[in-house]
Amino acid sequence: MPENKINNTEEEKKKVSVSIFQKRWKKFKTLKRGYISFVVIVTAFLISFILPLFVGKSALLVHYNGEYYFPLFKTYQATDLGQKRDAYGEANYRFLKQQYSEEDQGNWVLMPFYPYGPNENLLNELEGNPPHPPSGEHWAGTDDRGRDVFARLLYGFNIGLSFALVVTFFSYIIGIAIGAILGFYGGKVDILGQRFIEIWGTLPFLYVIIIISSIINPNFFLLVLILTLFNWIGMTYYMRGEFYREKARDYVAAAVSMGAKNKTVIFKHILPNSLTPVISYAPFAIVANIFSLVSLDFLGFGLPPPTPSWGQLMQQGLTNIDYWWLILTPLLAMFLTLLMITFIGEAIREAFDPKVYSRLR
Amino acid sequence: MTSYFIRRFLLIIPTFLGITLVTFLILQFVPGGPLETALMQMRTGGQQGAEVGSSGTTQGIPQEAIEELKRFYGFDKPIYERYLIWIGNLVQLDLGTSYKYNEPVWDVITERFPVSIYFGLVGFILTYIVCVPLGVYKAVKNGSAFDFTSSALVFIGYSIPGFAFGAMMLVLFGGGSFWDVFPLGGFRSEDWESLSFWGKIWDQVHHTFLPVLSYMIGSFATLTILTKNSVIENLSQDYIRTAYSKGLSEKKVIFGHALRNSLIPISTGLGHAISLVLAGSFLIEKVFNINGMGLLGYQSILDRDYPVVMGILVISTLLLLIGNILSDILYAIVDPRIRFK
Repeated sequence: MPENKINNTEEEKKKVSVSIFQKRWKKFKTLKRGYISFVVIVTAFLISFILPLFVGKSALLVHYNGEYYFPLFKTYQATDLGQKRDAYGEANYRFLKQQYSEEDQGNWVLMPFYPYGPNENLLNELEGNPPHPPSGEHWAGTDDRGRDVFARLLYGFNIGLSFALVVTFFSYIIGIAIGAILGFYGGKVDILGQRFIEIWGTLPFLYVIIIISSIINPNFFLLVLILTLFNWIGMTYYMRGEFYREKARDYVAAAVSMGAKNKTVIFKHILPNSLTPVISYAPFAIVANIFSLVSLDFLGFGLPPPTPSWGQLMQQGLTNIDYWWLILTPLLAMFLTLLMITFIGEAIREAFDPKVYSRLR
Repeated sequence: MTSYFIRRFLLIIPTFLGITLVTFLILQFVPGGPLETALMQMRTGGQQGAEVGSSGTTQGIPQEAIEELKRFYGFDKPIYERYLIWIGNLVQLDLGTSYKYNEPVWDVITERFPVSIYFGLVGFILTYIVCVPLGVYKAVKNGSAFDFTSSALVFIGYSIPGFAFGAMMLVLFGGGSFWDVFPLGGFRSEDWESLSFWGKIWDQVHHTFLPVLSYMIGSFATLTILTKNSVIENLSQDYIRTAYSKGLSEKKVIFGHALRNSLIPISTGLGHAISLVLAGSFLIEKVFNINGMGLLGYQSILDRDYPVVMGILVISTLLLLIGNILSDILYAIVDPRIRFK
């Protein structure tokens, strides 16, 4: 019978813990500003993975001489599809579309809504020297190599946010693990670990980036690795503090006196109780990581060209401030993204905050 | 508690040695160091502006010349010996000579002090003057229309990196395609010396406005919200209820009771004020073309000017480590509940 009883209480416990999360989610939903931002950002981010369907240089569907072609999945040469203007290399579907409609032979091309790609050079289609100012065709103009800025901004959103999410995830895992160890074991482990963190945290990480990028060209994963290596530190302070505080609580003493192993105490008892700052801090960490990538790209030590990036556009814009669209449009994109993530963070913090401040008087 | 802080000060030494040693080691692996640059210049007939080679091939240069160059830069000795020599010099307050400027590193760095202190202090003071009252007011009026709109502004500020904000301001007000209100950058006009007294002040303010705004925009949000939350938390405490029930006026309760306790978390940041001498984000300085500490550090990395890199590292690390301890001391002074062991 006593076993049964324990089971019961455990079930009850589970119910309660689920409902706490549900409560928080409910509270989060009531915070309109954050909730709407959350929906918008998540939707935009998911769509950005199928962006070629909406923005890109490849046609979605080509009907040529009675056959259907799907350029999104296979590259066709210009000659394959009977392209006449600049008929070399890969097919240019905008030329094809124009050509087919002029020929009027029943051939047609279905282009994405915004028919320009992020990395394609438009110099043979545009007059004058790049960068071109915004126009009806190119909403945000072109950059110094004649690439469409609007397309680069959208693809840059996907890359920037993915980058920030991955870096945040990995630095959290490392930060939580190390912070937990320092806080839980304390003593010598803590002192040594803290000295190490102090040294690691003061290392000028720009040097490391420069060193690595001068030896090999950094790619997405290498940059993730480097940034993670320097980013986990912030989280350790939080976790260390949390573990220090929590391990002195009665429930931990109870678990220990019942013979629970360290592993159980850490993962089953303390960790779930100290995750609140982790979760509410995450959106701000993501903001910070987007900052880092933009700054690195701005300095020229970020993702290798021709990766679409906001920072790189701003760097171009600063070489000549007459090219205002090269600064203002990435800034607007970055600003909207970061603002919404900040709103999410603020709402999460509020939803997770058990304290309800009421003024007493 | 004195013994705690003495221990903390003693712990600076191993941390400092660790930081400098690791950086020293890393610097040895950076391609395009001074030796390779010098060899490159010899090969191209001493031409200036030679590309920094990543692989120092030594063909065509006599072995003795290479040896002499190595001796000149101290590369003929093993790494640990060079580090020990460097530490030895450091203890005698000798930071070495800059490769690029051919001047003592100390002079190169202190030359930039005025610019850094100027921007650092102005930004620091303005931030505290604006943010603390704003945070207090927002807390008192929590939930009002003013609180809501100013929160939106604060978040907008938080969502723009300082250097990007600066770039935007330059585009809008730097005389490009829009308005010509502010200069494109620099610390002062070139003819500053010849200006009248008021002209000098006006010119300085004119050049200071946008960079300081960019510096402030980042810390602005954090400090305002920190103040607001801290005040709100204190306003819901029992001692505030007591104060009200004693019949004190709202003004007295807020400024006499709540504010003093709310300032505790804010005052701890003051410990890092000593780092102001080295203040300067190289991103903002790059945008506004200000010859400050940030730009010096960044440029010396790109130029592989190791003595300057190490010099800046030494000063900034020491200031940071001491600032940490000062913050804790301040914390203990302001809040008697805090006990360090």
